Amino acid sequence: MTAPVIVCSTGTEAPEEAEATLTLGRKVAAASGTDVRWLLLGAAPDGYADVARRHGVAAVDIAGGDGIDEGDADVLVAAVARYWERSPGQVLVFAQTFSTRDIAPRVAARIGAAVVTNAVDVDAGGDAGLEVSAAAFGGDTRVLYAVTPGVACVVTLQPNAIEPTAADGTAPEPAVEKLDLDLSGVVRGVRVVEAARSDGPRLEDADVIVAGGRGLKSAENYQLVVELAALLGGMAGASRPIVDDGWIDSAHQVGLTGKITRPALYVAAGISGATQHVVGCTAAKTLVAINTDADASIFRHARYGIVGDCLEILPELIRSARDRGVRR
Amino acid sequence: MRTVVCVKEVLDPDAVGAYAVSGHLEIGDDAKTLTQTTIPRLMNAYDEQAIEAALRLRDGGADTTVCAVSVGADTTATLRHAFSLGVDEVVAISPPAGVEVDCHVVAALLAAFVRDRGADLVLTGRQASDDDQGVVPALVGEALAMPVVTIARAVDVDGTKVTVTRVTPDGDEVAETELPAVVTVSSELGEPRYPNVKMKMAARKVTPEVVAPSDLSVPDGGLQPLLRLERQWVPAVAGECEILEADSAAALADLLIDRLVDDKTLQAGGGRP
Ligand SMILES: Cc1cc2nc3c(=O)[nH]c(=O)nc-3n(C[C@H](O)[C@H](O)[C@H](O)COP(=O)(O)OP(=O)(O)OC[C@H]3O[C@@H](n4cnc5c(N)ncnc54)[C@H](O)[C@@H]3O)c2cc1C
Ligand SMILES: Nc1ncnc2c1ncn2[C@@H]1O[C@H](COP(=O)(O)O)[C@@H](O)[C@H]1O
Repeated sequence: MTAPVIVCSTGTEAPEEAEATLTLGRKVAAASGTDVRWLLLGAAPDGYADVARRHGVAAVDIAGGDGIDEGDADVLVAAVARYWERSPGQVLVFAQTFSTRDIAPRVAARIGAAVVTNAVDVDAGGDAGLEVSAAAFGGDTRVLYAVTPGVACVVTLQPNAIEPTAADGTAPEPAVEKLDLDLSGVVRGVRVVEAARSDGPRLEDADVIVAGGRGLKSAENYQLVVELAALLGGMAGASRPIVDDGWIDSAHQVGLTGKITRPALYVAAGISGATQHVVGCTAAKTLVAINTDADASIFRHARYGIVGDCLEILPELIRSARDRGVRR
Repeated sequence: MRTVVCVKEVLDPDAVGAYAVSGHLEIGDDAKTLTQTTIPRLMNAYDEQAIEAALRLRDGGADTTVCAVSVGADTTATLRHAFSLGVDEVVAISPPAGVEVDCHVVAALLAAFVRDRGADLVLTGRQASDDDQGVVPALVGEALAMPVVTIARAVDVDGTKVTVTRVTPDGDEVAETELPAVVTVSSELGEPRYPNVKMKMAARKVTPEVVAPSDLSVPDGGLQPLLRLERQWVPAVAGECEILEADSAAALADLLIDRLVDDKTLQAGGGRP
């Protein structure tokens, strides 16, 4: 049998993203006649056994302890590499997060594997061997990489790339093992001297996001976005240029190099819809675009569009939403 | 001290985006190469910021030389741009002949260059705007057993200690490590400087030193790619936008709120104050 597919969760991914990686893992395993092993780093999430069963996972391996539980990158890299020595696979799948983007290439270097980030799919079992599709140019293009035969591949799966689905039929109870990876010799080369303070709610979790871009014209006008967001019980988002210009801090940036969001409602005001922005909001259930340019790319992604001046529309939306007391 | 900045020449991502969106992006007969000659080639913007970070260290009194290095077939224009910004040394590493270079080969070459010529600080962009991978710096760091600190807003060096302010999803984090180290730089660093006319003129006469793979101590197997680009295409976007129409901004706003209430995206409430 071919080496198994290893899916690794670090606890930094959303539960549905962990399930998306298990869904992908199952597909790759089935195509190459092998099993999925699920490696959990740090405290195992609630209900992991049910999730594992639903996805037909053959074995769950849980690794915790000093450094792993705090998510120290140097320790996580060493832990995964040590795990791989005992139980090598053909593919190692992470859900792509800020943290796994750092870990994945370092693990790949240690275990002699290839690495692909921004992955949207993996195929195995065909004549071409292992193939990974990924987004490039911020999502403007897709690329397909063939992995050199005999080489394993570490993949980080882009958020929202795959719809999580459960396995057909009933799977046997997975074997669960608590691992004792000896990490005593690991050098922690980087010290955090000031931890990030996550103050308040996160854009990733917001149900409603009203986002503004350069079309707002000035930092003062960004208040319109803030006001409408608050009124709808949501949060304010931003495109990168206005973050770069200091209208709002980077915690509000949506996109490839900002937040990947999945709200029920996303309102994009004065945003052109460059793919680097749109990858951060295409998972929205309903996207509304307000733009003076009828040809703006954002309309290709929107459910409802208003061709018009957001400086006129936003105040009216605030009025209308307030009059009717609408909320999410 | 010696700072090496890794710079990549890329196709202008805005131009690629514009062609892709308008349905006019040309992909060659090999089904993977972007062939439009009208798309400008330029230095990856994050790499420009990495150069800026190096120059700020030097301006701030750090006693460092700055070397810009690029792997690619013809990176002269990009390296001249680096020179015009004020780096001391520009080096072009030519790709191995007959090999389709992947991120692993690029990293092996850059790591060998750093190993052979030395560096206390290796600065890179957080990701290249063509492949968006963001893996080369980590691969270089691992090859050299150097710590890797990613997504810097600010980089400071004090003796052998480097302090990095990182932009994380939870806000800024300050991390410290010992040199030598690899640090990746993000757009939050701020505007890179513009070259002045005099430096631009001087850069035109500069010829980057060309280093061949055989000049470098790349470990066995390091020049074997692990990934091969097979295909590239523009993904379809399923557009189904309803453009709302009404006589006034007020009517448009009411119409939108109606739609959002009708499709249950929003709920009409009891008229909050
Ligand atoms: C590697 C890389 C990473 C990137 N990462 C990100 C990222 O994470 N997030 C991100 O957002 N961008 C990112 N970008 C930048 C991205 O490519 C775009 O440049 C950016 O999203 C454009 O922002 P914008 O839409 O606000 O501005 P513009 O592109 O300038 O668009 C402004 C829009 O406003 C419209 N407009 C003007 N006036 C009005 C008005 N009065 N009312 C209504 N509409 C009006 C215009 O028609 C236009 O469509 C990245 C780029 C690269 C290369
Ligand atoms: N061909 C190259 N030459 C020099 N530096 C590179 C090259 N490719 C990548 N890099 C560096 O590595 C960073 C991340 O690139 P990537 O992993 O390709 O997204 C870039 O911002 C550059 O600093």
